[in-house]
Amino acid sequence: MAERITINPVTRISGFMEIEAEVENNIIVDAKTKGMMFRGFEKMLTGRNPFDAIYFTERICGICSTAHALASTLALEDAMDFVPSEQGRYLRDIIHACEFLQNHLRHFYQYTLPDFVKLPANYPLFQTGHNDYRLPKKLNDRMVEDYFASLEFSRDAHQMLAILGGKAPHNHGIFIGGITSQATVDKIIAITSILDKIGKFLDDKMLPDVFEIGKYYYEYYFIGGGYGNLLSYGCFDNYKELGTLYVDPLVYSNNKISAFNPDEISQGREFAWYDEADEPDIQKQGAYSWIKAPRYNDVPYEVGPLARQWLCGDYRNGISAMDRTIARVLEARKIVGIMKTLLENLIPGVSVQEHYTVPEKGSGKGLVDTTRGALGHWVLVEDSKIALYQIISPSAWNLSTQTGNMKGTGEQSLMGAPVRDTQSPVEIGRIIRSFDPCVSCATHVYSEGKCINSMQVV
Amino acid sequence: MSSKNFKCPYQDNKLKSTANLVARVNNDIKAEKLVKPNLVWLELNGCAGNIISLLNGQNPDFQYLITDMANITYSNSLLAAEGNQAMNELFDVIGSNFILAVEGAVSLKEDGRYNIIGRHNHEAVTGLEAVQRLGEQAAYVIAVGACASHGGISAARPNPTSCVGVHEVLQRKVIQLPGCPCHPDWFMGTLAYIILYGEPPLDSRNRPLMFYSTTIHDRCPRRSYFDNGIFATKLGEKTCMFKLGCRGPVTRIDCPIRQWNGHVNWPIEDDSPCIGCAQFGFPDAMEPFVNFNPTKGV
Repeated sequence: MAERITINPVTRISGFMEIEAEVENNIIVDAKTKGMMFRGFEKMLTGRNPFDAIYFTERICGICSTAHALASTLALEDAMDFVPSEQGRYLRDIIHACEFLQNHLRHFYQYTLPDFVKLPANYPLFQTGHNDYRLPKKLNDRMVEDYFASLEFSRDAHQMLAILGGKAPHNHGIFIGGITSQATVDKIIAITSILDKIGKFLDDKMLPDVFEIGKYYYEYYFIGGGYGNLLSYGCFDNYKELGTLYVDPLVYSNNKISAFNPDEISQGREFAWYDEADEPDIQKQGAYSWIKAPRYNDVPYEVGPLARQWLCGDYRNGISAMDRTIARVLEARKIVGIMKTLLENLIPGVSVQEHYTVPEKGSGKGLVDTTRGALGHWVLVEDSKIALYQIISPSAWNLSTQTGNMKGTGEQSLMGAPVRDTQSPVEIGRIIRSFDPCVSCATHVYSEGKCINSMQVV
Repeated sequence: MSSKNFKCPYQDNKLKSTANLVARVNNDIKAEKLVKPNLVWLELNGCAGNIISLLNGQNPDFQYLITDMANITYSNSLLAAEGNQAMNELFDVIGSNFILAVEGAVSLKEDGRYNIIGRHNHEAVTGLEAVQRLGEQAAYVIAVGACASHGGISAARPNPTSCVGVHEVLQRKVIQLPGCPCHPDWFMGTLAYIILYGEPPLDSRNRPLMFYSTTIHDRCPRRSYFDNGIFATKLGEKTCMFKLGCRGPVTRIDCPIRQWNGHVNWPIEDDSPCIGCAQFGFPDAMEPFVNFNPTKGV
């Protein structure tokens, strides 16, 4: 007989999430991922000054605010028919890269590691209900040390971000045209020297740590895979002179990589708490989450570091919970290289700012891959104000609800996974955290149901 | 001109206030004059950016906080446990000497059901219920960041989830640390003060005076441009950004001297206007954030 397991809260993620799973003979036979908070940013943005969207949408997420600043800026530039200079793009992409490093360090050490490493029990924060810790003492001790040591480097990543962006989280740097300030030589050398230290920590600690975990928790290379459909909007790509430093907009499905086409994005809400008019409706029958169901070609896709590493050809070992975590660490190292290239190509003391005018009307989209995957902002401007704003965040892709009988990406990744002890089902959290869920980002999606050609996501 | 070039004893003292307090806490705890209090970090409807900001703390840093200052018994972002065990850890603190730090706003819509923070013995726990149960029992309640202090961006019009600040749902004093996010020093310094001396001196809106006593404008390194009527017309300029919409004149906080992320920068030094994130009324009363046409209201 099936046994029902509920985990709520799923801690060590951003925001609030519940997982409900049915387990039969120690195998998950049904799973639901549920976003448990609603905020409604799209509603708040209507009627505001379009330029304010950049700093405003940052507040969607405390851990990936830069991602929203970037997507928002891209959408506004599109609506204004404004093309930023290459120097402007380098500068804001450096800020974005700092966020990748900060996010990946914290996700690996503070959010992922406690699933695999026994942290000191004299801290109340670190008590757990399971005992599936497999690392030999010496190795475990080393990783406890790295848990704390990593805090210095994730903090340093935010410090690099602040050198160009003013502060972090919620930076002021990213804006139309690139960034607000200029890259001066003292700033460039400060960032370069911090980056060097972070790169060394990644090579000496983070990479060995993740591969050791992979050795001792080997079955996670074979569980948590899911559909295996991968998608990226591209990032650090298509520079005029530098070409693509990371990944182009691509999708992978049925062993085939093809170009990404934004017109194929759609979004369902059958099992999410929204009524026919797209208003939040917590009473809705059959609904179980605040997260809608983004689809590409009508099927669910996985987004994030593994999708990018796979699509750009850097890492194709497999699609599983462990591969996802390894891809995140490998990506951090890749980002160090990309940042170095961008820094080397900066021309110091160049202002990329102009006097901008709010367009009377226009529409634009900003699609870019961010730490957790593909992020899209869509804006419609009328009477020089925001008339409609839409956001589909990476975690909306990864934690989407069902459409028909088709499960969301995260849900599918849990299907068939083993649960050894239903009283402490540690496997579920390990699999779902490999996606780096961010529910704060995923659950305020709202649309007015208008059919707008430039906005396929209605 | 950078504020770092000043050698003013008043400013110097302000900057070191957190570090000095924290050092005393550590000494007194080691000398067993003080017992480490429990600290609950409760996330509600928000972006979880204040715990991320707290992890950026430096002197004291996060490891020092949890090792030498307080026993953090709960944080949704950091707790190793999950599910019902996590909820047990959250509520087991009731009855002990604990300080409650809250980030995020309290959503009142549908009795709080737009923000479920966990399931305790199979029952869904709303953010509203958690903050009321813990808040009335805590020795001190600290609202960390804009959303917890006054609703912040979570309560931006039309306030889709009926969000309010923590003090609105508690019948007690709540120490307010507005800011989006809260600077790690503002929290660490307030916590250290509480541990050592009890409630810090507060202004009429319950903000600690040691951080919130002076407006940004009063200590702005670009003040001379304002006084001389030299105003920036676009971002990226080194003059006064008042006409671009800078909210420094109404925002009481110490950003000009404290700065951010290891004191390397802050929004005005970054050639962008202050958007008043540490002032009540943020964001609605602070918009437009950036205004290129000051003669025409947007």
